Amino acid sequence: MNGMMLGRYLPMDSFIHRLDPRLKIGSLLLLLISVFFDAGFIGYGILGIFVIVLVILSKMKLSQVVKSIKPMIFMMIFLMFFNLLFIQKGTLLLSLGFLKIYDQALIQTAYIFIRLILIIIMTTILTATTKPLDLTLGIEHLLSPFKKIGFPTHEVAMMISIALRFIPTLLEETQRIMKAQASRGVEFSEGSLKEKIMSIVSLIIPLFISAFQRAEDLANAMESRNYNPEAKRTRYKQLIWKVSDTISFVCVCAVCAGIVTLSIVL
Amino acid sequence: MSITFKKVEHVYSENTPFSYHALKGVDLNIKTGSMTALIGHTGSGKSTLIQHINALLLPTSGEIQIEDVMITATNKPESLKPLRKKAGLVFQFPEYQLFEETILKDIIFGPKNFGIEESEAEIIAKKVLKLVGLDESYLEKSPFDLSGGQKRRVAIAGILAMDPDILILDEPTAGLDPQGAKEMLNLFKKINRSGKTIIIVSHDMNQVLEYCDDVIVMSNGKVERHESVDEIFKETEYLSSLSIDLPTITSFILQLNKHGFKIDSSIKDVDQLVKEIGGQL
Repeated sequence: MNGMMLGRYLPMDSFIHRLDPRLKIGSLLLLLISVFFDAGFIGYGILGIFVIVLVILSKMKLSQVVKSIKPMIFMMIFLMFFNLLFIQKGTLLLSLGFLKIYDQALIQTAYIFIRLILIIIMTTILTATTKPLDLTLGIEHLLSPFKKIGFPTHEVAMMISIALRFIPTLLEETQRIMKAQASRGVEFSEGSLKEKIMSIVSLIIPLFISAFQRAEDLANAMESRNYNPEAKRTRYKQLIWKVSDTISFVCVCAVCAGIVTLSIVL
Repeated sequence: MSITFKKVEHVYSENTPFSYHALKGVDLNIKTGSMTALIGHTGSGKSTLIQHINALLLPTSGEIQIEDVMITATNKPESLKPLRKKAGLVFQFPEYQLFEETILKDIIFGPKNFGIEESEAEIIAKKVLKLVGLDESYLEKSPFDLSGGQKRRVAIAGILAMDPDILILDEPTAGLDPQGAKEMLNLFKKINRSGKTIIIVSHDMNQVLEYCDDVIVMSNGKVERHESVDEIFKETEYLSSLSIDLPTITSFILQLNKHGFKIDSSIKDVDQLVKEIGGQL
């Protein structure tokens, strides 16, 4: 659990770390959208190179990037497996009884694989280089235009920041309970299916109880300080848009525009 | 046959930006049948140290011998399961580990994991529940209906039911009322007298003085002192350098001695102290 990379902030000082969170969130959205434009392998090549440049700029290590993909591997294999079997277009490449693999299926599966990898790495870059609090601040700023139509921007941002705040706490709690139950002879990695279910139960129930307990404590603490989501508040931390942010945004837009053009041309 | 640490190092999240050197060359020998207090500041490595004794954590380097089992960095986790039964670890606020529908089921959870028959485990459960001061009417209750202090007792009973030779307790009395804390410590002393080794993490020096034989002082991931209770509380300057308070009775005797009394500072008992003062008046 200590090796978890997904969604974890890496305290470092890099070009990407210093960028404005609003820019990073906006850029991620644009890049995510462009991932789904079908610009062929050339398009994915461009995006791939761009993502590699971002990884280098953010000073992330290769091992950290690999670690961020690892937890998703099972889901990826699952998705790819079904794609391979259920897309039945193009020419038949291989036929084993009811298993039929077509060339279009192969290409589509490769696309999905590349898309997932790109999405995971892009998201990891955002969370690894942006402090959770900056992230929520950015989201709140980006959502602020919707305030006019009655969208509860502040509440949503508060919910997100609380959720993010408690991820490490809950992970710690999970580890603590796992150790306590391991001391009572539970083996989380071994045993028959029945034993495995039992060991998960012995983890989940205490975890839920403590999570609810924490939620209640937090709600009480907020209420006792008279928390009012509608109150006007100022911020200690101000977001300042710099020249480097503008330049970065132009670069991201250029890449995305390139992908969209490619997909139209092809 | 005892607990021996040889040059044990432990580094959390090695080779990452979060790397933390928690144990730095720990050498230690805890005698079988002793009741040892482990003291030191938050972050001094106490919790890391005790988790090595039942192999929840493996040393980054160095070796640990628990009776006839050797633990090194290369041990396979599955070979260490018998050790979990031999060394029972009660975490801080153990009430959070309760999960079963009834107290009986929760107490027999540990023994069953170590292969003890259900019927036999139930007999043990009744025995340990009595030991921790709850009667049999609790067996069929839900652990979640209990008060905090009662939950703590049930959780400790769950570990005692495994009948460990070594009992390790991480601040077992934190958050208990004075009466409850006293009952708990008397229970541990009783278990200790029946021949079990007990290691207890504590911040309360009065408890340490009253109940323990030996004291291990940890600071910055190192074991700085490992002495008998009488010895350690003579080192007033060292303890104050770590801002560890003396037991109330010891500091009272030292104050008296400053004003002309000559009283042995290793006296632990109030009645004896009263007699001693009376004799010198």
